[in-house]
Amino acid sequence: MTNMNEVASKPGFGTSPHESGVDLGQVPAKMTVRDLNFHYGEFHALKSIAMDVPEKKVTAIIGPSGCGKSTLLRIFNRIYAIYPNLRASGEIVLDGENILDPKYSLNRLRSKVGMVFQKPVPFPMTIFENVAYGIRHHESLNRTDMEGRVEQALRGAALWDEVKDKLKQSALGLSGGQQQRLCIARGIALKPEVLLLDEPTSALDPIATSRIEQLVEELKSQFTIVIVTHNMQQAARCSDMTAFMYMGELIEFDRTEKIFTKPDKKQTEDYITGRFG
Amino acid sequence: MSASLYTRRRIKNILAMILSVAATGIGLLFLAWILWETLSQGIAGLKPALFTKITAYREEGGLANAMVGSLILNVIGILIATPIGVMAGTWLAEYSRRSRLGPTIRFLNDILLSAPSIVLGLFVYTIIVLPSQWLTNGDITFSGIAGGIALALIALPVIVRTTDEMLRLVPGTLREAALSLGVPQWKLTVQILIRAARSGIVTGVLLALARISGETAPLLLTAFGNNFMTFNPLNKMPSLPQVIYDYTKDPSPDINTLAWAGAFVLTMFVLALSLTARFVFSRSKVSHD
Repeated sequence: MTNMNEVASKPGFGTSPHESGVDLGQVPAKMTVRDLNFHYGEFHALKSIAMDVPEKKVTAIIGPSGCGKSTLLRIFNRIYAIYPNLRASGEIVLDGENILDPKYSLNRLRSKVGMVFQKPVPFPMTIFENVAYGIRHHESLNRTDMEGRVEQALRGAALWDEVKDKLKQSALGLSGGQQQRLCIARGIALKPEVLLLDEPTSALDPIATSRIEQLVEELKSQFTIVIVTHNMQQAARCSDMTAFMYMGELIEFDRTEKIFTKPDKKQTEDYITGRFG
Repeated sequence: MSASLYTRRRIKNILAMILSVAATGIGLLFLAWILWETLSQGIAGLKPALFTKITAYREEGGLANAMVGSLILNVIGILIATPIGVMAGTWLAEYSRRSRLGPTIRFLNDILLSAPSIVLGLFVYTIIVLPSQWLTNGDITFSGIAGGIALALIALPVIVRTTDEMLRLVPGTLREAALSLGVPQWKLTVQILIRAARSGIVTGVLLALARISGETAPLLLTAFGNNFMTFNPLNKMPSLPQVIYDYTKDPSPDINTLAWAGAFVLTMFVLALSLTARFVFSRSKVSHD
């Protein structure tokens, strides 16, 4: 454990092509995490996390329950800040600015970093309003422009064809998979740069799951995507980079292919092969 | 061995079943009895004059002024209590999370919920009726406004409580989803949470209305009563429960019959309100699972 701590706290651990021999194909980092620590009250949930999230790639975060992967994701848009007694320290640099700086406006951060949650949570409004709601908060568009934006977002989330004739109906009538794609549409409608997906398929059936995975593949041409998943096959199928976390530490972060074929760390290998976790 | 264990469990099960069915039966028996008594006694007094004539005519009259008075008093009460109650409940559910004031207010609200209504009537008598008497040189004393305020004090804690509880039933993920779009807390509260909890809040308001429409005690010292028809809330105002109370004590059997008819009308009104509340709640209950 101590040994691993040392390795994990080295700056740039597992992230620099020079140190770990990873070739990211010259992909620039969209978000750079440095010495990130997180506390739930007294509990030290994340320990000195450091990683570079590459731009317009899918980065998967895997690890056993309670390892801190959702916690990490929820720091990327500071959604944790709505609960008392949670503290994050360190740096997360997004386009040259530290988003953990209290001066960084939440409004701006959340328009740049969108999030989709584990359970689909449509708002109690029409399908159209669900997508338009967020846009309206950040921009004032006229009717035609708004309709265009909503359509674009719904198309982006591969939902348009299914809902174009019932935009005025309540979003609560959609199936779970459709609701989740609506939530993705709602997220991408703000034209964010980063999209965070917190186990987006764990409440969905296999068909809806594969649609979402397909969608992730399509969306990465426009967005930097970070996805937390319990499902290792999913990480292997749809991510370019994979981070393995265990007990609040980032054990290994590398190209997905490498993590799943010849990981450097014994713990990663044990987890991947199902020996624990 | 296992067979005897099974038999024992079956006996216990049957015993528990008999006891709970009996308990339910006793409860329902009294409910049916009350409804039957009101219905059978009240039906004799149901005649057109009940709804068209005022109490000033005594035996030959009806309860029209009392019904109108009750309606005005209830509307005043609900109009005062609803905005305050909904806003206070919203504060409790959404904003009090980081302060200790929240649990304290919740506790005090529960005390107000069970406060004897005559005490609330006395309170309003002291802070509204007496001052208005001094300020207007006795022109305005007991009034519909005072009665409405007393009723509002009874409705308020009910509305605060249901709003608070209904909002806390809204899943936290809905809050996170809205906040993750950059939407500020007030927009989230007004445009999404209240909307999601809307049917529950409306139900709470209707139940509060049902509750105050049967109140007598707080009106004795505030609205006072009146044998004539009045639409002006600055006047003394009659109300159905209070007329029922007065007419029940009357020695004349005809007046007693009118009291029963009034009780029947009141019961039907409350029943209709409760059914509406149920309907509203079941129709638009939203599931997020």
